[in-house]
Amino acid sequence: MKLILVFGALLGHIYCQETFVGDQVLEITPRNEEQIKHLVELEAEEHLQLDFWKLPTIPGETAHVRVPFVSIQAVKVFLESQGIAYSTMIEDVQVLLDKENEEMLLNRRRQRNGNFNFEAYHTLEEISQEMDTLAAQYPGLVSKVNIGQSFEKRPMNVLKFSTGGSQRRAIWIDTGIHSREWITHATGIWTAKKIVNEYGKDHTLTNILNAMDIFMEIVTNPDGFAFTHSMNRLWRKNKSTRPGVFCIGVDLNRNWKSGFGGNGSNNNPCSETYHGPSAQSEPEVAAIVDFITAHGNIKALISIHSYSQMLMYPYGHSLEPVPNQKELYNLAKDAVQALYQVHGIEYIYGSISTTLYMASGITVDWAYDNGIKYSFTFELRDTGRYGFLLPASQIIPTAQETWLALRTIMEHTLNHPY
Amino acid sequence: MPADACPAWGTPLARPVEGSPWRRVPAEGSPSALAQPRVAAGREPGRWSAASTPPAASTPPAPRPGVPRPSALLLALALALCLAVPGLQAAGPGPGPGPGPGSPGVPGAPPPGLLRQAARAALHFLNFRAGSPSGLRVLAAVLRGRAAVDARRTCRVDLEFTAERYGPEVADGRLGRCSARVVFRHQKPRPAVNVTCTRFMETSRRRREDFLLYKRAKRLRAPLGATSIPDSHGWIDPSLRPIWDLAFLGSSYVMWERTTQTLHYYMAQLSSVNQWKTNEDAIDFDYTVLLHEFSTQEIIPCRIHLVWYPGKPLKVKYHCQELHTAQEGSGTEEGSAVAPTQPNNF
Repeated sequence: MKLILVFGALLGHIYCQETFVGDQVLEITPRNEEQIKHLVELEAEEHLQLDFWKLPTIPGETAHVRVPFVSIQAVKVFLESQGIAYSTMIEDVQVLLDKENEEMLLNRRRQRNGNFNFEAYHTLEEISQEMDTLAAQYPGLVSKVNIGQSFEKRPMNVLKFSTGGSQRRAIWIDTGIHSREWITHATGIWTAKKIVNEYGKDHTLTNILNAMDIFMEIVTNPDGFAFTHSMNRLWRKNKSTRPGVFCIGVDLNRNWKSGFGGNGSNNNPCSETYHGPSAQSEPEVAAIVDFITAHGNIKALISIHSYSQMLMYPYGHSLEPVPNQKELYNLAKDAVQALYQVHGIEYIYGSISTTLYMASGITVDWAYDNGIKYSFTFELRDTGRYGFLLPASQIIPTAQETWLALRTIMEHTLNHPY
Repeated sequence: MPADACPAWGTPLARPVEGSPWRRVPAEGSPSALAQPRVAAGREPGRWSAASTPPAASTPPAPRPGVPRPSALLLALALALCLAVPGLQAAGPGPGPGPGPGSPGVPGAPPPGLLRQAARAALHFLNFRAGSPSGLRVLAAVLRGRAAVDARRTCRVDLEFTAERYGPEVADGRLGRCSARVVFRHQKPRPAVNVTCTRFMETSRRRREDFLLYKRAKRLRAPLGATSIPDSHGWIDPSLRPIWDLAFLGSSYVMWERTTQTLHYYMAQLSSVNQWKTNEDAIDFDYTVLLHEFSTQEIIPCRIHLVWYPGKPLKVKYHCQELHTAQEGSGTEEGSAVAPTQPNNF
C-alpha cells in the first residue's frame, strides 16, 4: 500500500523532472531520538536534494526517501556512520517508472469494475468479448450474426439490433474497414452500448428501432486490426496475399464494384489504395456484399472512417451528382449541425469527389448504385493534429457527437420510406 | 469541380456575388505592379536582420524594371481578366460547420479543397520560417479565397483563413488571422508562399516560451533509437513535448516542400530519435518521422536533421523514402535569404 503512495507521488514528480535514472528509494528506521534528529539535519542539507515523504517523529517509525543518484554515496556513508538502519527499497526509480507507465497504459484498457472501458482503445479479443456481452445482456434486442471469414480466417461478426419483425427495413453501419482508424472501432462499440441503453428512453431511437433494424459491423477488417496491434499501428489494408505478389493487402475501400479501378485507386499491390485484382475479390468485402444483397431491405448505409472531420455522400468515383444530391446535401447539413451542437466540432460536408478526393470502388458508391439511397461516409476526428493516433481521451466526446449525426440520418431514413 | 481543381480564368461565370468582401486589385494591367508580392512573407521586426528583402523562395521572380517578361505579361493579362470580374469568390464558411463544396452554388468559385490546400502550404511555410516551436500554428478555417489558373497551368490562390496554436489541447479558442498568396506550379511541389498572420501570442511571451523549451530540451535525455511518439493510443509523455514540437517544426519544412496542388501532409508519428545533441549551444536533432500523405494515403518515412537555437533561423536537411514508387526526395535549407537551388553550408 505504501508502495502505491510512493509511486503515486513519484508519478506526480514526472512533470517536474524528466528522468530518475539511478535514483534510489531508501527505507530508513531510526532507533532513537538522536537518530531522528540526524535525519532532520540530513533533510535540511539542500545540496543533497533529498526527497523525504515523511520524517519520522517517533523511534521505530520508518521514513522513505528518494535519493538522487549523485547523493547516494554520501547519504549511505552518513547513515552507516551514525548506525542508522536502512534498506534499499528501489534500486533504480526510472526502471520502475517506465514499467509503471506501461502498466498505467495497460490499466487504461483493462475493465474497470468488470465493465468494458469505453474510454480506452481495445484489442480484437476485447471488442469481440464486449459484443458477446451485449448480446448476452440484451437478448431481446441484440444478436450476433456471422457473415463470413476474413482472409486469415477470422470470423466476421455483425451486431443486429432488432425489436422483432422479419426482414425489416434496416440500417447498416460499419467501422474499422481501414484498420489504423482506431477511433472508428471505439466509436462503434460505444454506439452499440448507447443503442441498448437508449432504447426505451430516447424517443427518436425508440421509434427507429420499433420499425427498423440496425446492423453494425464494428471490426470490418479484423486481420488488419490485429496487425495494428501486433506489428504496424499504421496499417490500412487487409492482409490478403497472392502468389507472386510482393506486397500484402488490398484497400478494402477500393475493392467494391462501382467504378472499380478508376481514378483514386491504384493497381500497384504495394500501394495503400491498391484496389485488388478484381471487384469484390476480398472476402471481407464479398461477405458484406452477399449479406446486404441477400437481406434485400437495407435502406441506409453508413461507413465510418477517420480522419478529416467530414460527412460525405456519393459519388467518389465521379464528379457527377447523384439524383437525390439535394436531399443528401440537406441531410448531411442537418447531421453535421447536430454533431456540432455537442462539442463545437466543425465538420465539412458534400459529395466525396468534391469534398475529399476522387476515389473509385468505394463502399458508399456501391451501396448507392445498389439502391441504397441514403449512403454516407464519415471521416471522424481530428483534422491532422493527431490523425490516426487520436488520444484515447477523445473517444467519448467523438462518439457522443457522432451519435447525434447517426441518429439524424437514421431518423430521416425512418421518415422517408422507399 | 474536384476538391483541388484550379478554376480556369476563362470559365463562364455565374451572376456576380453581391456585396463581395474581396478587395479589387486595380486592373491597369501593369505587369510590375501585379507581379510584386502584395504582402510580406511572415516576419516580425528585428527577426530577419540577415535578410533585408523577402527571401527569394517566397516570391515569384520579379521582372526587371521597365522590361516585363513575356510570362509575367501573360500572368498579368490572366489576372487582369479574372480580377476584373467579381464572380470568383467562394462562399466563405464562417463560424460553424462548412457548407458543401459540391453544393448547387457558384460555378467557377474555387473549391474549398483548393483553398484548404493553399492554407496548409502557407502554414507549413510560416511555421518553418518563424523557426519557433512555441509558435506553431495549424489551420482553423478558411474564410474566403479566390483562385485562377494561367496558360501554363500555374494556379494562384489568394486567401484568408484563421489559424490556431498547435498544441496538445484540442483547441484553446484563440485564433490568429492570416492572409496568403500561394502559387502552385503545375504538378510540381514547393509552392511559392507569401503569408502574414496576426499574432495570437505576444512576441516577448513566445520568445520566453521558446527559451523555456530550449532549457527543457537541454536537460532532456531523449529516448534514442526506435520509438513511437505518440504511442498507439495517442499518448505523448509531457516530458517529451519539446522533442515533439521540434520534430513538427522540422517536418514543416519537409511538408511545405512536398506539397503540390493535389498532395498534402500531416505528421503522423515520430518513429526514431537518431541523435539528440544538446551539449553545444544549439539543439542538434536527427530523427525520423512518418508523414501521412493525402490523397494517396501513403505513410512516408522521412529522416530529418535539424539544428535549432531560439531566435535563429532553423537549419534543416532531410531525406524521404518512397516505398514503392521511384521518387525519392531530399532537401536542405538554411532558413535565411538563401535561394533554394544553392547548396547548404550546413
